[in-house]
Amino acid sequence: MELFVQAAVNGLQMGFLYALLAVGLTIIWGLMEMINFAHGEFLMLGMFGAWWLSTTFRIDPLLAIVPLGLVMYGLGVLIYEQLMRRVQLGDPFTQIFATVGLLFLIQNSAVAVFTSDYRFVNDTLLTRLSGAKLQILGITVGVPLLIGALVALVLFLLLYLLIDRTEFGLALQATSEDREAAMLVGIRPQRMFAVAWGLGAALVAVAGAILANFFAVYPQVGLQFTVLAYAIVALGGFGSILGTLLAALLVGVVQSVTVVYLPPAFKDAFVFASYLLIGLFRPQGLFGRF
Amino acid sequence: MAASSVRTGRLLALAAAAAVAIAYPIPLQLGGYTYFQTVGFLVLLNAMLGVGWNVIGGWAGQFDFGPQVFLAIGAYTAVVLFIHLGLSPWLGMLAGIALAAVVCALVTYPLTRLRGHYFAIATVAIWMIAQPIGATWEFINGSRGLFVPMKPAAGALDALVTLQFAGARKGLAYYYVGLALLALTLYGAWVVERSKLGFYFRAIRDDQEGAEGIGIDSRLYKVIARSVTAAVYGAAGVLYAFWALAVFPEQVLDLNWSVLPMMATVVGGIGRLWGPVLGAVILIPISQIMSTTLGTGPLAGRGVDLIVYGLIIIVIAAVRPTGLLSLPWGRWLRLSPAPSAPASDIGSRSGDVAARSGDVGPRSGDVASRP
Repeated sequence: MELFVQAAVNGLQMGFLYALLAVGLTIIWGLMEMINFAHGEFLMLGMFGAWWLSTTFRIDPLLAIVPLGLVMYGLGVLIYEQLMRRVQLGDPFTQIFATVGLLFLIQNSAVAVFTSDYRFVNDTLLTRLSGAKLQILGITVGVPLLIGALVALVLFLLLYLLIDRTEFGLALQATSEDREAAMLVGIRPQRMFAVAWGLGAALVAVAGAILANFFAVYPQVGLQFTVLAYAIVALGGFGSILGTLLAALLVGVVQSVTVVYLPPAFKDAFVFASYLLIGLFRPQGLFGRF
Repeated sequence: MAASSVRTGRLLALAAAAAVAIAYPIPLQLGGYTYFQTVGFLVLLNAMLGVGWNVIGGWAGQFDFGPQVFLAIGAYTAVVLFIHLGLSPWLGMLAGIALAAVVCALVTYPLTRLRGHYFAIATVAIWMIAQPIGATWEFINGSRGLFVPMKPAAGALDALVTLQFAGARKGLAYYYVGLALLALTLYGAWVVERSKLGFYFRAIRDDQEGAEGIGIDSRLYKVIARSVTAAVYGAAGVLYAFWALAVFPEQVLDLNWSVLPMMATVVGGIGRLWGPVLGAVILIPISQIMSTTLGTGPLAGRGVDLIVYGLIIIVIAAVRPTGLLSLPWGRWLRLSPAPSAPASDIGSRSGDVAARSGDVGPRSGDVASRP
């Protein structure tokens, strides 16, 4: 039982990081109804960016999230304007081709520049703290993961306020609800889509910068997180920001509890089994509003 | 007159393609360049997978990222039967096809409640669940994989029955076996395309509610379409396993078994009989050409071929999502004299993919339009 609680607490902390990495997809896929299979490649770029800034300029990944977020916002807007805008009007499947093409292009450009070697950030705030532990109610909590989770949570809540409480966020939601009606009240949908892609790319890259403290950095790292992000967005109810947070926490807990009782290979299988069950019996997701 | 000249043109093109495909490995065999026979084999294998993927993805319009599960089932079935019972791979192939199709039908039926992107993610989910099963199931030796035991063949006929070819003739033999299976798959796909089944598939893709309105059980026919895909993947899995002489879970469950045939299909022309073949002929050799030109230079082995794949697929998606075969080749090659005649392409009966795009904006709102 103690093992179970310990695993669940670890899973919760990972869950906050998963929430940040999935919420960009919630905006692009859930809210704006566009598919993006290159989501994990933005994460990978964020991880490489954090690694590069930390090894070359000694900028801690927790600070690097600011420049990385800005650059990736620009990249997201650029990708929407130059590519996704063209395929948005055609058959929905052309979005799949286009983003699978992006996946190949970005991932293998990273291979060409950095090779497939595993890289690790070191001498950052969180890696220096590795080994530091807190005892809370008999549960051991690693300090680095706790800090990472808290940073992710703060960013997540800021995003929630942006989407749910500001005029801009309402315009984004209006575009998602009814594009024509949004145009009638003076919202430019193309601009909203561009911003959604920018935000999506920036958020997942920021998540990547935090994750770089805990995971090896290599060009193929994205796919495992992409598939997790898809499961999280679907579980959370497409387009629901708070649903994404709760689903991400659930996925983190399911993963780390599964590992206690079954071979590690099964940790994602159970996440996807829950995706299937919920997709089949509750298609609006666990916390969907509609 | 015009119609018959188009028909003659198609038959000529088909005959020319067949002649080139049959003659291709012979000078290589004489010159000792058997490596390029292997390239040819991989082109044929991916073309075959593409023709199979096209059934669920192109005709039935359901995007599938998980057919490699059925490739694995085919490969493991035939290899297990060969190891334990000494059963010929050809009989193993029949068993593998049957098992792949049955498992596919059982697994896919619940998934057909989901649509569009949600169905696509569900196929990913099945694949994610299959991976740890393959890696931990002791009966199939887990992640250590199974090896096909070599049994020296008594003669050419025996070699063909056991699919075990000695040394220098292996590339040649597998090339022709692959060609025969591709021809068989194409013939089967051609029959399905012209049958009632093919029309049902495309009706569901073009307008699911409309198809249901005239009495087509969309869930049943989606399951049938994916099972046809699974059957082709099962057969190709057997061929691949006996060519590679081993089955490893991470190898037969590799995502590229769905992504490469999908790319080939899209580049050639999705929903067109010959689309995947053209796409595979263009895409698959790129890897080999790249590795030859880059040699041991600084960019060798750095995924440059995959960057080119990515660029090709992006350009196709942005400029001509209906694929290369949808271009008006007939008019360009002066096969159809009237410039106003509709673009005619080999074996294509389906409409323009772009023309079947539904509404333009985000499709949010009611639950009914969701999975």
